[in-house]
Amino acid sequence: MFENHQLDTLPKHHIIDFKPLADKALLYTQLSWLLFYVPVMAVLAGVCVFNDDFSNFAQTPLLIGLPIILLISLAYNVISVRLRGVAVRTHDIAYQKGVIWQQVTILPLSRIQHTEIHRGPLERRLGLASLRLYSAGGMSADLNISGLSHDDCKDIRQFIQKYTEDRQATESEDLVIEKVIDTGNEQSNG
Amino acid sequence: MGNLKWQRVSPWALVYFVLHFAFRFVKDGIFNLLPIGIVFVTQVQDKLFWGQIAGSVAVVGLLVYSFAYYINFRYCISDDHEILLNKGVFKKERLTLNFLRVQNVNIAEPFYFKPLGLVNCIFDAAGSTSQEAVLPGVTVNYAEQMRERVLAYKQTQQPDATAPEADDLDASEPHQCLTLSNKEVAKFGLMSNMAILALAALAPFMNVVFEFLEKAVINRLESFYQQEVGMLVNAAALAVFSLFVFIVLIAVLLSVLMSLIRFYNYELYFHGGKFKRISGLLERHQLSVSLDKVQSMLIKQNLVARLLKRYTVQCLQATSGGFTAGAKSKQSLVMPVLTLEQVKQACQWVHPWINTEGFDFKTLNFKGVEKALLIKNLFLYAFLPSLIFAIFGYFNEVINPFYSALSFTLLSMLVYLSYKRYGYYFYQYKGRYYGVFRSGMIGVQYRVFELYKAQSTYSVSTYFMRKSGLKSMYIQLAAGTVSMPYLKADVANEIIDFTLFQAESDQRSWM
Repeated sequence: MFENHQLDTLPKHHIIDFKPLADKALLYTQLSWLLFYVPVMAVLAGVCVFNDDFSNFAQTPLLIGLPIILLISLAYNVISVRLRGVAVRTHDIAYQKGVIWQQVTILPLSRIQHTEIHRGPLERRLGLASLRLYSAGGMSADLNISGLSHDDCKDIRQFIQKYTEDRQATESEDLVIEKVIDTGNEQSNG
Repeated sequence: MGNLKWQRVSPWALVYFVLHFAFRFVKDGIFNLLPIGIVFVTQVQDKLFWGQIAGSVAVVGLLVYSFAYYINFRYCISDDHEILLNKGVFKKERLTLNFLRVQNVNIAEPFYFKPLGLVNCIFDAAGSTSQEAVLPGVTVNYAEQMRERVLAYKQTQQPDATAPEADDLDASEPHQCLTLSNKEVAKFGLMSNMAILALAALAPFMNVVFEFLEKAVINRLESFYQQEVGMLVNAAALAVFSLFVFIVLIAVLLSVLMSLIRFYNYELYFHGGKFKRISGLLERHQLSVSLDKVQSMLIKQNLVARLLKRYTVQCLQATSGGFTAGAKSKQSLVMPVLTLEQVKQACQWVHPWINTEGFDFKTLNFKGVEKALLIKNLFLYAFLPSLIFAIFGYFNEVINPFYSALSFTLLSMLVYLSYKRYGYYFYQYKGRYYGVFRSGMIGVQYRVFELYKAQSTYSVSTYFMRKSGLKSMYIQLAAGTVSMPYLKADVANEIIDFTLFQAESDQRSWM
């Protein structure tokens, strides 16, 4: 069935229309970044207050450097979240990410070994979730999509489950048909 | 549960348990015991006496533990086609392994079981070693019988898994086999990097070792050289150099020894779409691998192998971890030292198309990657390091600027070699699509795989790459990732689209 196709009739992945992440994804990324960054700044400020040597030496560079880093990373997060997108096609799921190194990953649904939906406290509060899809041979999750709405996550998972079930059903149907043909052949041979 | 017939293994299995736990103890426990060892060496007065006591306590403990483990070790083959194992001393464990999940049944014959005609029967569960079930000290017949039983059951449950091979192979076809002489196997010791691994294992002790060596060897050597050739060369440098040569020699010998232990009397059979390999000095290990389980084939040749005109071929199976796990694990079928002719023969078993057209994989019409890769790598890996080197030399006035020119030339050559090695080739045979990816630098390696076995794909591009219409592409297989950097974007897209199409439309199981 597939042997005579032409290359130009292939479904093309580079024209996929990626769907942006949930509205609150940016807020989530910024907040989780700040949750990491603010304590680090607090510790540095604490050291500056209690240790004169350190404060003489590092106060000025820190006062200039830290806000700049903060601003740059907040801006970076905005671009990064804008560039991320996910698309579910009939037979696979595609995810696009990256600012400097832009990456498009495509995972055929039939190769998915298991799925995980992950929700941290912040994600629960914002109604978001992370979807992790695993296939064979990867070190960790092949696709780790954070910043999806929880409903989207559940929908995608359900879609994957249905796809897998349908596939298994057709496979076992094929098997039954093959067996019937086999026994038919045997009978006619016998 | 009451009707299960639990059995014990033969009492001889005790020998296996003792050796197994002794090995485990040395492998896992030695680092944890290091602090105690240091306290012992520095603080304890009567070392011999206390050492003997500690030694005997360890041995008695090992024997008692192994005996208890043997007593608790029971197995049973249930009517539901499951292998059940009860094991553990302090923490009891029940392992249930369905025949369907068994990937291979391997038979290993350790040297201490040889006179008794006993073997270890190993049930491999899809790629994970923690789920592996071992029945030690069973008879050869029993092990063979178990293998037949498991395979027969699997065949009734998944007839499609083995069926496609049947039409390719003639039933009357004789067993094809490949044997390697031990001289060849020793060559693998020279080729492999096992020696470096052995040295790496010593790394944590390097400081201690060096201190000791300086005291014990280098100083003596130095005075010896001072007497003999003191006028001609720097005796200290010569002493360090000869020590270095000595260490390398030891490492090479170790490596040869290790490869002999692993591949002694190597025999490989191929019949009915199945590989069977028997090898090993201390333990004759029998590994059988079904052809459809091979996810990709790796043909490689490093510098030493090039000089020896030999290749190493690996048939990689699905792994639960990254690429290295696949290459190093016991699961992957390794053909350590093959001549070009033998490689072609092995290729023909796995990929019958390779020789049919009268070409061999070395002369395939590989397509290369874009020149931008060469320019980028020249800048990043040749120009920048040499520039830093030159600046450093300029300010320090220690290093002659000539050296930075030399380093630039050398690095550029390496970068160029690696650029030239990249190549890809696609082939269609009887409606099946294959990819051959070549890479390397001084050595070379070919990855051969069937496209539908792809697990996922991804492409990566930077801003400059997008400007020049370039992309790097990666195909993840169940046995590691294959990649091709810096392709024209439309070529990369087409490869990805086509690979996905194969993976999604092919109804065959990839496992």
